[in-house]
Amino acid sequence: MYTLIAVLAPLVGSLIAGVARPVIGRHAAIAGSIVFMLVSAGAGILAQLGGVQAPLHIASWISVGSFTPDWTLRQDELSLAMVAMVSLVSMLIHVYSIGYMAHDKTAPRFFAYMSLFTFAMLALVTANNLLQLFFGWEGVGLVSYLLINYWYERPAANAAAIKAFIVNRVGDLAFAVGIALTYFVFGSISFDQIFANVAAQAANGYTLFGTQFPVLEVIAILLFIGAMGKSAQLFLHTWLPDAMEGPTPISALIHAATMVAAGVFMVVRMSPVINAAPVAMEVITVIGGTTAFFAGTVGCVQNDIKRIIAYSTCSQLGYMFLAAGVGAYPVAMFHLINHAFFKALLFLAAGSVIHAMSDEQDIRLMGGLARKLPVTWLMMLFGSLALAGIPPFSGYYSKDAILGAAFLAHTPVALYGWGLGVFTALLTAFYTARVFLLTFHGQCRAPKHVQEHVHESPLVMLVPLLVLGAGALGSGYLLRDNFIGANFAQFWGPSINVAANSPMGALDAVPSWVAMAPLAAGIIGIAIAITFYVLAPALPAALSQQFGGLYRFLLNKWYFDELYDWLLVRPALRLAKFAWRFGDEQVIDGVPNGLATLTTDASTQTVKLQTGSIALYAFIMLIGLLGFLSLFLWVR
Amino acid sequence: MIVNLAFYFFSFILLASAVMVVTSRNPVHAVLFLILAFVNAAVLFLLAGAEFLAFILAIVYVGAVAVLFLFVVMMLDVDFAALKEGFQRYAPVGALVALVLFGELFLVVSGWSTLAGAPAARLYPTPDNLTNTAALGNLIYTSYLPLFQLSGMVLLVAMIGAIVLTHRDRKRSLHQKLSAQHARTPEQTLRLVRPELGAGVSVPASEKEAT
Amino acid sequence: MTSLLPILPALLLGLGAMALLIVGVLAKPEPAGFTTWGAIVLLVAAALVSCAAPDTLLFHGLLKTSLFTRFADALVYTAAVAALLLALDYNRKEGIARFEYPILVLLGVLGMVVMISAADLMTLYIGFELQSLALYIAAALARDSVRSTEAGLKYFVLGALASGLLVYGISLVYGFTGTTSFAALAGLLGANIGYGAVIGLVFVIVGLAFKISAAPFHMWTPDVYEGAPTSVTALFGTAPKAAAMALFLSVMTGPFGHLLAQWQMIIEILAIISMALGALAAIGQTNIKRLMAYSSIGHMGYALMGLAAGTEAGIQATLIYVAIYVVMSFGAFACIIAMRRRGQAVEKISDLAGLAAQRPGFAFAMALFMWAMAGIPPLSGFFGKLYVFSAALNAGLVTLVIIGIITSVISAFYYLRVIKVMYFDAGAPDFDAVPASVNFVMAVGAAVTALFILLPAPLITAASAAAKALMG
Repeated sequence: MYTLIAVLAPLVGSLIAGVARPVIGRHAAIAGSIVFMLVSAGAGILAQLGGVQAPLHIASWISVGSFTPDWTLRQDELSLAMVAMVSLVSMLIHVYSIGYMAHDKTAPRFFAYMSLFTFAMLALVTANNLLQLFFGWEGVGLVSYLLINYWYERPAANAAAIKAFIVNRVGDLAFAVGIALTYFVFGSISFDQIFANVAAQAANGYTLFGTQFPVLEVIAILLFIGAMGKSAQLFLHTWLPDAMEGPTPISALIHAATMVAAGVFMVVRMSPVINAAPVAMEVITVIGGTTAFFAGTVGCVQNDIKRIIAYSTCSQLGYMFLAAGVGAYPVAMFHLINHAFFKALLFLAAGSVIHAMSDEQDIRLMGGLARKLPVTWLMMLFGSLALAGIPPFSGYYSKDAILGAAFLAHTPVALYGWGLGVFTALLTAFYTARVFLLTFHGQCRAPKHVQEHVHESPLVMLVPLLVLGAGALGSGYLLRDNFIGANFAQFWGPSINVAANSPMGALDAVPSWVAMAPLAAGIIGIAIAITFYVLAPALPAALSQQFGGLYRFLLNKWYFDELYDWLLVRPALRLAKFAWRFGDEQVIDGVPNGLATLTTDASTQTVKLQTGSIALYAFIMLIGLLGFLSLFLWVR
Repeated sequence: MIVNLAFYFFSFILLASAVMVVTSRNPVHAVLFLILAFVNAAVLFLLAGAEFLAFILAIVYVGAVAVLFLFVVMMLDVDFAALKEGFQRYAPVGALVALVLFGELFLVVSGWSTLAGAPAARLYPTPDNLTNTAALGNLIYTSYLPLFQLSGMVLLVAMIGAIVLTHRDRKRSLHQKLSAQHARTPEQTLRLVRPELGAGVSVPASEKEAT
Repeated sequence: MTSLLPILPALLLGLGAMALLIVGVLAKPEPAGFTTWGAIVLLVAAALVSCAAPDTLLFHGLLKTSLFTRFADALVYTAAVAALLLALDYNRKEGIARFEYPILVLLGVLGMVVMISAADLMTLYIGFELQSLALYIAAALARDSVRSTEAGLKYFVLGALASGLLVYGISLVYGFTGTTSFAALAGLLGANIGYGAVIGLVFVIVGLAFKISAAPFHMWTPDVYEGAPTSVTALFGTAPKAAAMALFLSVMTGPFGHLLAQWQMIIEILAIISMALGALAAIGQTNIKRLMAYSSIGHMGYALMGLAAGTEAGIQATLIYVAIYVVMSFGAFACIIAMRRRGQAVEKISDLAGLAAQRPGFAFAMALFMWAMAGIPPLSGFFGKLYVFSAALNAGLVTLVIIGIITSVISAFYYLRVIKVMYFDAGAPDFDAVPASVNFVMAVGAAVTALFILLPAPLITAASAAAKALMG
């Protein structure tokens, strides 16, 4: 019951803020959204405390033969953990937005979208079948599009929103095909029935392009491609940094804490199927590790504070997939929850900075803000240390566990992931420290008039920061025992399928040098950053001169955008132009224009019959009767 | 033999008068031919042994409906010349349709045979020891009671319809409401005003409708 | 009590109508509002009771109740309630708020319920006449308007012709088989096919086709839709269509079920002509009520497609289609009734210009109904088409489906034109406020039309059960 309230309350709030706004006014609309979000968060936490319950059937949705997905709330351990996290973080960000959006004229629209997003996200995590999950999946995608484009008068926001939508379509297509194939193979898309029949399908094959593939591998890889799109993994990651065009609370909620983690959640949710697909697991490991590394390298040289954090999100999601790929699903979930807290914290703190700096986002034009923004400084420090993986902050525990699990898996791909992961830990620490130092320390490089306006954010923005800061500080330590500790199996119950040969059981048996490696890498990264930006400020410029090629390669994000532009966008445009000039203007316009003339002529003729004369009408009826009689008597 | 002769005789009159209904120039004649047609149809019913239907036909259609028609035709100024014009315009097509329809129905009737199981399917064969009317009454008030009731509803609707479409409250006529007239006092109807010179009296809109 | 339960809805309607009539005659001034609300209450009560009624055969097989009749009854009740709600405000403003109107609607609904439950050709005919007569009068309700009286007269004359054909057909069937009971007919006609029954069947089909305004027996529809007061047109477009279609289904699959091979082609031709005419003739219309008339002709063509399939899935599809159509239709009529500028009802399509700017909610609702009628997913209208098309395809009627698709493409043009006028043409912002009752009907219609995709299961299951009960 609590789960139902948690899921539906944001929808009500969204309707109040979105639909009732003209009636009740701006303040009541925002207040309505906030109140229902508080209800949702309360109910979400109560649901988590209440423990697992049987799935709650709400209504049947479609009933076509054996295809009978229902609206059902799944209330197992995995869903409840996600419900509690999503509703809590969303509530905090709602509250934060009161302050952040105070000067925006269309703020109720913003709150309506955000509440709608929360509803869709909660529907996603409580889905009991793949189609309901897909409903939430597309719902969050839609709201993400709307919110990236929130300031729709900006061309950059338009472009970013469209890019996010289109790139996600690639992933979603694979996901949809995966769902269809699942139904085709299992005869059901309900999770319980799929999971119950995994063993029966393990040996079956699926013929694609004349080659036989194990069917579960195909399904797992298709689903993972969907997850790649949503979670911005390598090759489908290009939309995430651009999505930072949206308001910062959105970056925190959608593009850091919740929506982008949906891919990871889905992989964990489908763990029984993934476990039965070893090749897919290797693919996940490789993609995850590579993404972590790739995004880390790019993050090192970016200058936009939000983009750097966005790349770090990309990188951390890579870590989660790395954990999932080696079968350590609870560790992936552990990192997901920790990451939600500290990344939301980082974004909100960055938002506070941007707010203070009159919407400036370039860290080269910041500096020396520590004095003026003490609370933000402290919270940013918490978030940065958590991201860099310094104990006792949460990131330390989960990143450590991920790398430990990757090492313990001992397969070549896992070791590849481990190596990249450790090096990425160094990169992460470096760019995090870089952002922190350039923003808060040293001389202020902002223009004079901006400097004068620098001010600490209002209390309504700082309180959520403090709560999230406490989360970033404590969530790792507090959740560790339950999530990945000795009794993890009991905590997660049957909601996560951990294979017998996964590294989960032996996490404590990691060699001590392996356990220390990420921390050492982190400290080295921070040390390098301090050297570069505090001790020897001339060094970075000199290095970028020295290694100009590498620098440009990283600055241009490995030239992915350019590659896609050359490989996909331009040919598509050329094809479109051809289709337009020839196909549309000549064939498509020509044929219907002819047909349309024909149709209107026919229309005029038919209407002419309608003279209004009863006698004629009666005749036409009689002629019709005659026609039918003749049909019987003479034709048949 | 005599029955057959009588049947053809009355049928012929029936058809001839039906044709005259459509073709006669004078509308009063047309209605009179209609009455003749009805009467002949009643006779045909009699020949078939359905005396109740025969009398009903005579009473309802001749006595009520046709006479009503006659009133309408005589009292309303219907432009029959215009109607005739329409008739002539559609006559060729109408004749063709009628011809084909007739041909087809002829075909049907000529090839007519009742279904083998039809006699057995008849639920209510005519009883031997009852008159036609009594037998019909037995059925209508027992097995077909709901249909009888529903027919009553049809008539009710027709009555409501006639009233809805024609009845008007005469707003202009002056009723006497004695009780109201007795009960009213001078204060309700009379107002004494002292008009100023040259200014006149302005009467509020509510008082303009003098009762 | 239980034995009374199956006819209790009909008793409620009939006796309730008479009670309201007495109140209406005695009370002064004319209690039009009271009788309307009274009629609505009676309809709701009848709907609730009919849901509880058991399946039986009544009065020596004159009437039957089953899941099928309950499904169709529910549609008729819903449509009638919507039509009465729409009439509340409109009739008052147009000066035709007669207390008799709701009573006529009640009696008309009684006729429809009898028609739907008919298990005998005679019951069928009486129900048919009862509802027709009530509707003829309703069409002429605005008796001071030439258009309205002309509409009533036209409807009456052509309706009399149609019911003459129907009763002639019934007499042929009776003459051939010696019975009018559906069950007995089904048994007799199983083995034998003769001229008499088949020709009688053609006449019966013509009579029914007139009622659902399937082409070429549709000629009355545009004139009557345009001439009748809009509140009455809203009734014409919904309840009688649902009832007559239900009757069509039960007659074709019941007594004449074994003659599928004989009537299938007729139904196909009816469907094709209706779809084509609905699509083509509507293009040139400037009056939105005429447009709706042609649109309803087209929709009936699509609905007939399911019957033409002649399968249980086809019946189910037709029921789904009609249910969805009824909702879209009363929603669209709510919008048309709400079209008033400076106190005057307007009904030209061009009068909608500028609506979106002044009343975005109203315009959006109208746009929703137009989209749905055009069959654009994910709105409900799409699913209706989907079901009839797939039923027809499975029955092998490929030509029919192809024509259906072509005509729905053509008809999309005029639906979209309405939207274009509302959203892109400039017009004076002088629309009147929409009354609450009309707004309610509009909102319910829009919500059902837009959100059908989220919860289609109840309707589809109910239609499936109804089709099963019919084909049994």
